[in-house]
Amino acid sequence: MIRNLPAHWDMETDLVAIGSGLAGLGAAITAHDHGTSALVLERADQLGGVTALSLGECWIPGSDPEAALGIEDSPESGFRYLKRLAMGYNEDLATLNLTVHAREALRWFTRAIGLKMMVIRDCPDYYFGHHNDAVKEGRLLEVEPFDAKTLGEWQERTRVSPVVPYGMTHPDMMEPGGSANMAKWDFALMGQRLAADIRCLGAGLAASFVKGAIDRNIPMHTGMNAVELIGDGTRIVGVRCEQDGRDVFVRANKGVVVAVSSYERNAGFNKTLGQQLDLGTMVFSTIDGANFRLTGPVGARVAKVPDVTLLGVRVPGEEMEDGSVLTRSVMAQIGLPHTIVVNRTAKRFGNEAFYREFFMKTDIIDGATQTHPNFPCWAILDAQAREKYIFGAVPPGQDFPEGMAVKADSLAALAAAIGLDPVTLEATVARFNSHAENAEDPDWGRGTHQWSAYMSGDPLNKPHPNFGTLTKAPFYAVQLTRMGGSAIPSTGVVADHHCRAIDWLGEPIPGLYVAGNSVARLETGAMMQSGVSNARGMTHGWLAGLHAAGKPSTLLESETKRLGL
Amino acid sequence: MIETQQSVVIHAPIGDVWTYAKDVERWAAIMPGYQTCDIADEDNSRWVLKVGVGGLVRTVKVQVHVDEWAGPESVTFSFKLEGDPVSGGGFYRAHAEGPNATGVMLSVRVIGGGPMAPMWEAMGGPLLPKFALAFAEQLKARIEESLGVSKAAAPRPRLFARLILWLRRLFG
Repeated sequence: MIRNLPAHWDMETDLVAIGSGLAGLGAAITAHDHGTSALVLERADQLGGVTALSLGECWIPGSDPEAALGIEDSPESGFRYLKRLAMGYNEDLATLNLTVHAREALRWFTRAIGLKMMVIRDCPDYYFGHHNDAVKEGRLLEVEPFDAKTLGEWQERTRVSPVVPYGMTHPDMMEPGGSANMAKWDFALMGQRLAADIRCLGAGLAASFVKGAIDRNIPMHTGMNAVELIGDGTRIVGVRCEQDGRDVFVRANKGVVVAVSSYERNAGFNKTLGQQLDLGTMVFSTIDGANFRLTGPVGARVAKVPDVTLLGVRVPGEEMEDGSVLTRSVMAQIGLPHTIVVNRTAKRFGNEAFYREFFMKTDIIDGATQTHPNFPCWAILDAQAREKYIFGAVPPGQDFPEGMAVKADSLAALAAAIGLDPVTLEATVARFNSHAENAEDPDWGRGTHQWSAYMSGDPLNKPHPNFGTLTKAPFYAVQLTRMGGSAIPSTGVVADHHCRAIDWLGEPIPGLYVAGNSVARLETGAMMQSGVSNARGMTHGWLAGLHAAGKPSTLLESETKRLGL
Repeated sequence: MIETQQSVVIHAPIGDVWTYAKDVERWAAIMPGYQTCDIADEDNSRWVLKVGVGGLVRTVKVQVHVDEWAGPESVTFSFKLEGDPVSGGGFYRAHAEGPNATGVMLSVRVIGGGPMAPMWEAMGGPLLPKFALAFAEQLKARIEESLGVSKAAAPRPRLFARLILWLRRLFG
């Protein structure tokens, strides 16, 4: 254990939460309500973290809102579902720890901060229809619309998403037909919400937790860059921060929670901690691997699961606040009718409508040719797609901005323009078209997941939400960009079931906790399930707060015995 | 189409108000994220704005055309966004309310086009009046400050620009 005590302390509390997403705020609130003082340090100038960028989905099996609808479910079923998704890359106890505690954490925050979560109706698990423990609806929850004006001075200093329509709930979007049918949305309601600053989705979820901290007078310091943990030779007792060019030493009598998300804005870490090259991103600049820089010097162990590489586009004229390139995911758009994705051989290479599969295909390496056979790749759309659907933030019926797409009057001309073989592209589209008329995809199984219809399709399209021929000129090709998983990393710090950081000998590091996306994804392993990241953040924060307050959960032990694990 | 009219009283003679207001670049400079104003000729200009809200920064280009100069009492204009199916127009009306007071009315209308026209107009409805009022108050503040009448700063008209960015979130 390090010993690097400062000559003086500038601030003192019991629990220091580094990071102000769901995990950091959740830990501070939990500790506070269990008699332990807490404060929050945020490096950015806004609170809310990556939580605020998300769709705000929380995947919680057997929750009270789910039960209230009469939906039969249990944490145990959720455990089996995640375990299968994980494909052996998980640790069963970590998976069980999440599923048994997520419901309890939600119960606690519902009571403590008045968190109002509701079931996202008709939203299935990814693998519903393919897995006995997947549910048709019930596990995915979202926050009710939240009045951000209640945040007072923090209203403008609480983050919203640059790419998510945070004024709408899932039913607001999905009941009229999802993003594929945006013309049918209730825009008057959206206008009212924007004017009144009523936030939904991740922005509403993050704001709910910020309000919880405000209500408790938990100090929250923005612009505070935590750069070094401080130990007394036996345990972690504080953190050194930099603020406005000077050191600030913060003493933590009972522990430090590192909840700073992951490393997506760090190209070197993407390449070497993941195996991901040239990633585009939508996350802000502070998501650069601070979890490793803080915990590495005190011996925290890291672990890795398979990478998540999305595909996105860059829209000319758009950028992030810091001037860096903004990349928008198109994963929910490439599964729409009249749209396919092809690789350099002008062939499809996966189920475009189910990105759990598709992102595993993008980074495949061909050892014989020393290439990524599926990258670069292009979305191919026809005029029908452009007339009906958005693509990469470009509304239907509107021209792509200059430099974003290639347009041609025939598929052969389109192929030639982007350097693909015209004959092969024509054959690929012809084959897709012949099956699309029957809503079948014998090659890649497109349209076989109910979730694809919900999230990646046009539910009003016939014969199927994910099928429509590419027959109407002009045709378009948009070269896609690799993109990170919105701060959902493959590599993270290993934690035990109380979210204590674990060293390379398997022992907890006294006084050090990790939470949220800073933690290795050993609950979900190979695959992801939408809503798990926010559920992890909430649950981890709660578990860390409880343990730091001297009131650790004992639920995992009892469930382990009950299940005979 | 959505439309609003907003009025302010500027504490300055109508001639001084006109001296300031007849410069199109000054109007552009009031817009949030103002970058440049390329004056093509007396009637045509292209405003480039870089608008940032909530992590997203977007370059918005606006073609502005003055349909009629009838100063100091009146200017009629039209505009069109490049890259978004939004156009519109409006007018500026001024009248003397005394030797050192000028009433100014701004009228702005916005027309959304394409399949998403209902979205632009329904969502713009609640925001356009606030935007136009903020713009008028900013104009008043700048004129009065330039004449040494007042140093009071008015808030910049952010809301409508925010709308444009907020709408872009729909497609992410």
